[in-house]
Amino acid sequence: MSNDAAARAHSGAVAPGTGERTFWGRLTSWPLYQILMAFLTASPRRQFLILAAFPLIWVLTQHLGPMLQMLRVSLTDAYPVAPGVEQHFTLDNYMRFFGDPIFWQPFFRTLTFAGVFTFCTLILTYPVAYFLARHVSRKNQMLYLLLLLIPFWVGEIVRTYAIMILLGNTGAVNMMLKWLGLIEKPIPFMYTSFSMGVGIVYLTALYMLLPLYSALEKLSKSFNEAAADLGAGAWTRFRRVTLPLTIEGISSGCTLVFLISTGFYATPVLLGGPSTTVFAETIAGFFHVAGDQWPTGAAFATIMFLTALILTSVFQKLMNALRKGDSK
Amino acid sequence: MNDDTPLVRLKGVTKKFGDMTALDNLTLDIARGEFVTFLGPSGCGKSTTLRILGGFERPTSGSVILNGEDVTLQPPEKRQVNMVFQDYALFPHMTVRQNISFGLELKGMDKKSIRQRQDEIMSFLELDTYGDRYPAQLSGGQRQRVALARALAPDPALLLLDEPLGALDAKLRGQVQQELKSIQRRTNKTFFFVTHDQEEALTMSDRVVVMNKGRVEQDGTPEELYFHPASRFVAEFIGETNLLSGKMRGLEGDAVVMDWFGQTLRGHAPGGAPRTGDDITASLRLEKLRFHKARPDSCNAVQGRVVGKTFLGSRMAVDLMIDEAAGASLRAFVDAETGQSFGADPVWVGWSSDAMAVLRD
Amino acid sequence: MNRRNRIVLSCVYWAFVLYVFVPLILMILMGFKDSKFIGFPIRSWTLDWYTGVFEDAEVLATLGYSTAIAVLSTIVAVAVGTWIAVLLEGRKFIGRTAIFGLTVLPALVPGIISAIAFRIYARWLGIEPGMGAIIWAHAVHNVPFVALVVMARLSTLPKSQIEAARDLGADPIVAFLRITLPYLMPAILGSSIFCLLLSFDDFVRSFFLGGYDPTLPVLIFAKLKSGMSPEINAIATIALVVTAAIGIWAERFTRRLNKDTQA
Repeated sequence: MSNDAAARAHSGAVAPGTGERTFWGRLTSWPLYQILMAFLTASPRRQFLILAAFPLIWVLTQHLGPMLQMLRVSLTDAYPVAPGVEQHFTLDNYMRFFGDPIFWQPFFRTLTFAGVFTFCTLILTYPVAYFLARHVSRKNQMLYLLLLLIPFWVGEIVRTYAIMILLGNTGAVNMMLKWLGLIEKPIPFMYTSFSMGVGIVYLTALYMLLPLYSALEKLSKSFNEAAADLGAGAWTRFRRVTLPLTIEGISSGCTLVFLISTGFYATPVLLGGPSTTVFAETIAGFFHVAGDQWPTGAAFATIMFLTALILTSVFQKLMNALRKGDSK
Repeated sequence: MNDDTPLVRLKGVTKKFGDMTALDNLTLDIARGEFVTFLGPSGCGKSTTLRILGGFERPTSGSVILNGEDVTLQPPEKRQVNMVFQDYALFPHMTVRQNISFGLELKGMDKKSIRQRQDEIMSFLELDTYGDRYPAQLSGGQRQRVALARALAPDPALLLLDEPLGALDAKLRGQVQQELKSIQRRTNKTFFFVTHDQEEALTMSDRVVVMNKGRVEQDGTPEELYFHPASRFVAEFIGETNLLSGKMRGLEGDAVVMDWFGQTLRGHAPGGAPRTGDDITASLRLEKLRFHKARPDSCNAVQGRVVGKTFLGSRMAVDLMIDEAAGASLRAFVDAETGQSFGADPVWVGWSSDAMAVLRD
Repeated sequence: MNRRNRIVLSCVYWAFVLYVFVPLILMILMGFKDSKFIGFPIRSWTLDWYTGVFEDAEVLATLGYSTAIAVLSTIVAVAVGTWIAVLLEGRKFIGRTAIFGLTVLPALVPGIISAIAFRIYARWLGIEPGMGAIIWAHAVHNVPFVALVVMARLSTLPKSQIEAARDLGADPIVAFLRITLPYLMPAILGSSIFCLLLSFDDFVRSFFLGGYDPTLPVLIFAKLKSGMSPEINAIATIALVVTAAIGIWAERFTRRLNKDTQA
């Protein structure tokens, strides 16, 4: 260290100067900005309140608001309210669902389909996630995962259309089977629960794959090695070690896929037929036809949402209990 | 502002986190140009003091006066105080130069003055050739110097250092300790240093404040703390020491007379004299004991048998059994050659009353 | 044993890759078929469908409309999501859990329910169906994704960085702009791209909140309902290429940014 540098370094050389200042220097010495900052940072409490105010208002009015408004509308007899008409509180919209079995069929069909499709997605993606997390080197994992992500960037409608082309009477599958001589007439895959299933699994697989992959990836390999060391076979190892430790991933993947599956509208419309009408179509119906049907639609949507929430939370409780029971 | 007023004055500063009292009624002055170290185990309140000085925490009660101005409620950006962080906290997306100019820009300096100040501080800390590097491209020691440069650049009244040597390896640490001390001397800045490493504290500081459980245990020069610890905590925390438990007999002038397993010993009490008849503990540093063939005429003398030797290179630690039945023993340093010569014969050890400090519990 | 497992699993993986790619590849191929009739085999090829699409003013307008909606809704979602993330991350206060729960709510509501709830709310607010309503719905729906991604990144920012900035004289806003924001950039860019894709691809909200002008997915849906045609394949392929290109570019870009700031 040179001594005159030392001398200068503490000679009080920090004079503001009169030349051109930097952007930040100019900003912070601008009187208006200083007044603003003095107001904002007068106390830590005020600073926090200002930071918190906007997010709080946003989530209440934009995130919660629509749900509450839907609930409110579902309890009225008229919406949108025509001029001169008075709006009344009523439970009729809910009674309409419970009173008419015609609505029960699409309702239970939706829940059954969502359950079955969720299970199919799980069975299909678990080995894929397992392969990625366990058998692919760290370096290549992102690459292998990315390969699977690419198709999922493509939208719902385009992918649904792709399934239509695949499964149509003159679609790729039928043409292939015909060419192989396995069938003479095309198999009518389309407009059935099968085509819907293929489509929905296709659309939701990623939401299952990612939680499973991250659960499996976190699971240390040493657990398995320890189990192998204790003489556990491959199947026992999987059943007793891997599966219980990935229950959290399974549980969140299934919850997500189930909720998404109950909400599909375009896919069932395009891939399904009259025998596969889902509740989303029923709900949408109340918003398309002319007339005063919105409250009923809102009530039906509320019923659907609450049922789905209750089912998934019961499912998560079960999975939690299972995990705890297994670790004992 | 004349130079006699303290730079920093802490008045009854208390900080509570929930039920936990991190800092309990701390009152303390720091003079201009002082190198003060706060020393203590983790959770003793030293970092809380530092964070209160920096403006990152507000005291629950009490006040902080800086340069005669009450800054208790001032946010960090308003204070003429800069800090070297434990992890250096260099901005990874800025070069060394940009890191250094950060504080200068916000002081409203013009571009030319900033450039000049950067050059000065960088040449002072021998960083001249690293101006355009990013922190990730520097070694640990270089990063530490950049952190120091960044904190010194805006010419703070008080520089806070939060265990800045913790991340360096042992060899580099010794060198940096010397450097820091020399930088402090040459800039004549007030350094407030926080560490849990007693050796670091003793080597660098003008003044050491030992903290424990949110309170000041002792405040003094390194020598005072080492040879005249006021409390058992300080005696045990700093260096190795013999702790002699006995009874207070009375005072003879400044000297405290104590009874230790039938031996009458004389010491001094830096932390205040206890009452006659109290159970007391005295601290006696290992290197303060002198060996003698016959009873020495020093103020305190006891006879014992050598029961153990530990070779430490240039010197040797010797364990002496004074009274087997009572379990009274002492440990002393002696040069290695003398140590070798000890056999089974009893030896005398002696020490002055100044060497033995009677402790506050 | 382990080896056999590995081979079986790798077959499953590649079968899965086929499952996700083949339908899209077939759909792309069909757009080059020289016939009005959708179906295999394809005997002769043409580019006519594409030239047709590029001459179709309606399709081009829709493409622009969708892009504008995606960009504008993304700006809103990113700003709001980042703000929420900054509030929630690393701070303890009463109601934090509740605000967090409400923040992720829109991501958990099934599509159709979310769409009609927005429809009803837009009506209540007096927003006419159309571009504004779609932008608003997409923004709200995408806020949770931004908030989660930004929070994850923010949690890795050492607290001392902000304290160092404050210590050197930066007020909270300058510290945010000069330290926090540059650090969050990879997360902000990554989630912007994700929002762009979500918005560009969204059908159900655009469908229920749209006015007379369709977004691209709504246009494809409408055309599909009146019958399949290679023209739709061409439009869908364009949409696919746009989204996949943005996605791949974003993936590489954010990874590079991440690497830079970690170094």
